[in-house]
Amino acid sequence: MSDQLKEVINQQNKQQNSDLNQLDDIVQLVGFVIGEEEYAIPILAIQEIIKPFSWTRVPQVPAYVLGVFNLRGAVIPLIDLRAKFGLQTKKQSDETRFIVMRHGDDVAGFVIDRLTMAIRLKKRDIGPAPDTVNGNDTIIDGVGKQADKIITILKVNKLLERDF
Amino acid sequence: MDEFQEILQDFLIESFELVEKLDEDLVELENNPEDLELLNGIFRVAHTVKGASSFLNFDVLTHLTHHMEDVLNKARHGDLLITPDIMDVILESIDLMKALLETIRDTSEDAGIDVAACVVRLDKITGGDGEVQTSAAAEAVTEEVTPQPVVEEAVADDVDYDSMSPDDLEAEIEKLLQERQDEDKAKREAKIAAGEEVLAAPPEPIEDEPAAPKAEPAPAPTPEPASAPVVTTPKKDDPKAAAPVKRAPATVEQTIRVDVKRLDHLMNLIGELVLAKNRLIKINDDVEERYEGEEFLEELNQVVSIVSLVTTDLQIAVMKTRMLPIGKVFNKFPRMIRDLSRELNKKIDLELAGEDTELDKSIVEEIGDPLVHIIRNSCDHGVEIPEVRLAQGKSETGTIGLKAYNEGNQIVIQIDDDGKGLDAGMLKDKSVEKGLITEKEADNMSDKEAFTLIFKPGFSTAAAVTSVSGRGVGMDVVKTNIEKLNGIIDIDSEIGVGTSMKLKIPLTLAIIQALLVGVQEEYYAIPLASVLETVRISKEEIYTVEGRSVMRLREEVLSLVHIGDIFEVERILDANEHAYVVVLGLGTSKLGLIVDTLVGQEEIVIKSLGDYLKGIEGVAGATIRGDGGVTLIVDVVALMSMARDVKSTALSDASATEVSHEKTKASDYTIMIVDDSKTDRTIMRKSLEPLGVTLVEAADGQEALNILKSGDHNFDAMLVDIEMPRMDGCTLATEIKKYNKYKNLPLIAVTSRSGKSDRMRGVESGMIEYITKPYSADYLSSVVQRNVNFKSEFL
Repeated sequence: MSDQLKEVINQQNKQQNSDLNQLDDIVQLVGFVIGEEEYAIPILAIQEIIKPFSWTRVPQVPAYVLGVFNLRGAVIPLIDLRAKFGLQTKKQSDETRFIVMRHGDDVAGFVIDRLTMAIRLKKRDIGPAPDTVNGNDTIIDGVGKQADKIITILKVNKLLERDF
Repeated sequence: MDEFQEILQDFLIESFELVEKLDEDLVELENNPEDLELLNGIFRVAHTVKGASSFLNFDVLTHLTHHMEDVLNKARHGDLLITPDIMDVILESIDLMKALLETIRDTSEDAGIDVAACVVRLDKITGGDGEVQTSAAAEAVTEEVTPQPVVEEAVADDVDYDSMSPDDLEAEIEKLLQERQDEDKAKREAKIAAGEEVLAAPPEPIEDEPAAPKAEPAPAPTPEPASAPVVTTPKKDDPKAAAPVKRAPATVEQTIRVDVKRLDHLMNLIGELVLAKNRLIKINDDVEERYEGEEFLEELNQVVSIVSLVTTDLQIAVMKTRMLPIGKVFNKFPRMIRDLSRELNKKIDLELAGEDTELDKSIVEEIGDPLVHIIRNSCDHGVEIPEVRLAQGKSETGTIGLKAYNEGNQIVIQIDDDGKGLDAGMLKDKSVEKGLITEKEADNMSDKEAFTLIFKPGFSTAAAVTSVSGRGVGMDVVKTNIEKLNGIIDIDSEIGVGTSMKLKIPLTLAIIQALLVGVQEEYYAIPLASVLETVRISKEEIYTVEGRSVMRLREEVLSLVHIGDIFEVERILDANEHAYVVVLGLGTSKLGLIVDTLVGQEEIVIKSLGDYLKGIEGVAGATIRGDGGVTLIVDVVALMSMARDVKSTALSDASATEVSHEKTKASDYTIMIVDDSKTDRTIMRKSLEPLGVTLVEAADGQEALNILKSGDHNFDAMLVDIEMPRMDGCTLATEIKKYNKYKNLPLIAVTSRSGKSDRMRGVESGMIEYITKPYSADYLSSVVQRNVNFKSEFL
């Protein structure tokens, strides 16, 4: 009886492991557009994606920090990725979204121009960041190759890092 | 392993609690060396820690506590009189014990601290009259000092159990048995008169012995022969060992230990509830306005007030669970005063009062250091040496009073000394000499202001640097720490009589009363504790002195700063003729903060801005308002220091730079049509379309204002109907004219109301033309052309 049980459990374990292996090869990302470029971040780093609403300005911060907003009782900073990437600020449109990202205890909302889609990429289709932007300071995690285009994958922990 | 961790945690919590009380008891003991109750209590602490630490294999700690126990045991039996010198050694060993416990807390090991020196000194104390123990020790093999064998044995026993039967359960059983035995002893003890002269052996072997055979008969026998000779006496000896146990039931409280995290979580939830309550009240007000006189209103009102009442009660109740008596902080001061007075060769008494006064846990944790600084200062600088005191006709012994009490929503901690007091003149001279203030400032200073000079960074009055204080740091740190808690410090002093310092601290940090103020389109919350008063002033009352704005407030001159200058608020609204000044007070310093509007008083929940935005100067945090928006909380302390560096700007310096857009084609002209009637809008559109201008429509004033504010278009003129829902034309015009940017935007009223008073109202609100319906298309078109300077070549 116990032997049988063990066998079953072993089998289940094996199955789970193989599932994990398969998952390991695939990275799930969410793509979005800022300016002309398409960027992506790992789907697991996203807490939620919400439509824009009002925020409160905070003094003495760089222009790309728009302020703070209320996310169901939590006060969360709001960062404009256009401004952060050195692009001209644009009026928010119907497609503008706030992506709330989380890394550990750090949470912040990011304003993006529009969402594209959820992307599944094989690990081997992701190359390292170009040499020119290498080093620990870069915000770029890697470059994902798709059939017709490439996508810049961003480091969420870098995005959530205070750099002022 | 987890089980071990759990036991370890319990051990640490228990030990720290015991040790905390120990200091106080020991100092007390020095004054009443004969107090058996106290001695028993102290002995019990050493004993408990020893027992538990040996069980957990902390050999160093066991070793130390065992020797302490020996000394205390002797004292307890009357063989030893506690002298200050002996007390020094005991206190030293307790310090070591604390250090060991801290090491254990941090590293789960008790290595790294050398206790040998202290143990030798402890042994010396016991050594002289430790003869009784030799009988027990004789059997042991490898020891040089008499009391030591007992330790090693005791340790060895416990270690044996652990190593030979790693099963925790068995060890636990042993412990439980021992506990039960202690209880039995306590019961027996009640029947037997205390103070008997039979002091055969130290109690450890006896306690170990009965436990040993039951738990683990095989390895234990070694200690048995050692205690065998005294087997006949345990009943007479035990009572003393167990005496403290008698005390225990009396102090048992009806409490449970709760993880602080859970309380914090609860507090957060209450915070959310308070926010929801605020929101509910706001909605209730709105509903009341809209459905005045409806029957269901009363019911709604009742529910809202019950919810609000219960929420407030709940908030207070949860706040109370986080409250700790300030005695927890006060406990360490008797010991400190004792050490200091010995070090400084002064005689100082400490009088504690109000130890039961309760404070929020987070404040209790923060208040300790500032108090230490203040009391050290009082000892060092305040209280004089005995000779001087006698010469001045004071009693030889100085007194420092430390008391806590509630005063309204604040708790006051008062530190009094009967020392030499602060000399205002001397303080001023010193500060001028050190360049902290100018001579002119010094002359204008009241005595009370002079006292606060001791809180200036870099100030130290002691001529000689002592190890106790006088390094020039300390008091300014005190001030910053207290201010961090939203508290204030008040000093009173009289030369030769003494100094009295009052720390006033809010009861809790999480939820506060705040004054909400508005500037331009933003709102800020100012902690009400720092607000002294608010005044309404007109522009003429503001004077400029040396580039700074000031105003006269009764007999004082108050320096002013505009909140907009501090928070870099964009001046988009035109300044009002009147402004409000919020007078902020922190200790003796005052500042007038100019704001545009006062919104009112509200209970707010302080939320942190998080790691990403922490440390922004002038912002203490944020709160969520009833409408769901976020409002920043002003950090009054930081604001006061920021105000010194802010250049003053006049109230009405907003020079709107008119952006002139060159019009190159007819469609560059943009005109907004505001009318609630679709037909009317279409008529206007039809009249203006031939011009080729761009037309934007809005159905009411609110919508028009939103379109205007969004900045999507640069409007050259607006056609506004007067009668509209939500916001009528006149209100719209008034709102628009508040913005500097739209000062010169032509507003043309298009209405069917042609009465004189209507026209007057239109002009008052800022309309420049008044067209009465019905009108001809040409007329409308010509009025618009005239007002936007329409270039004729586009026609």
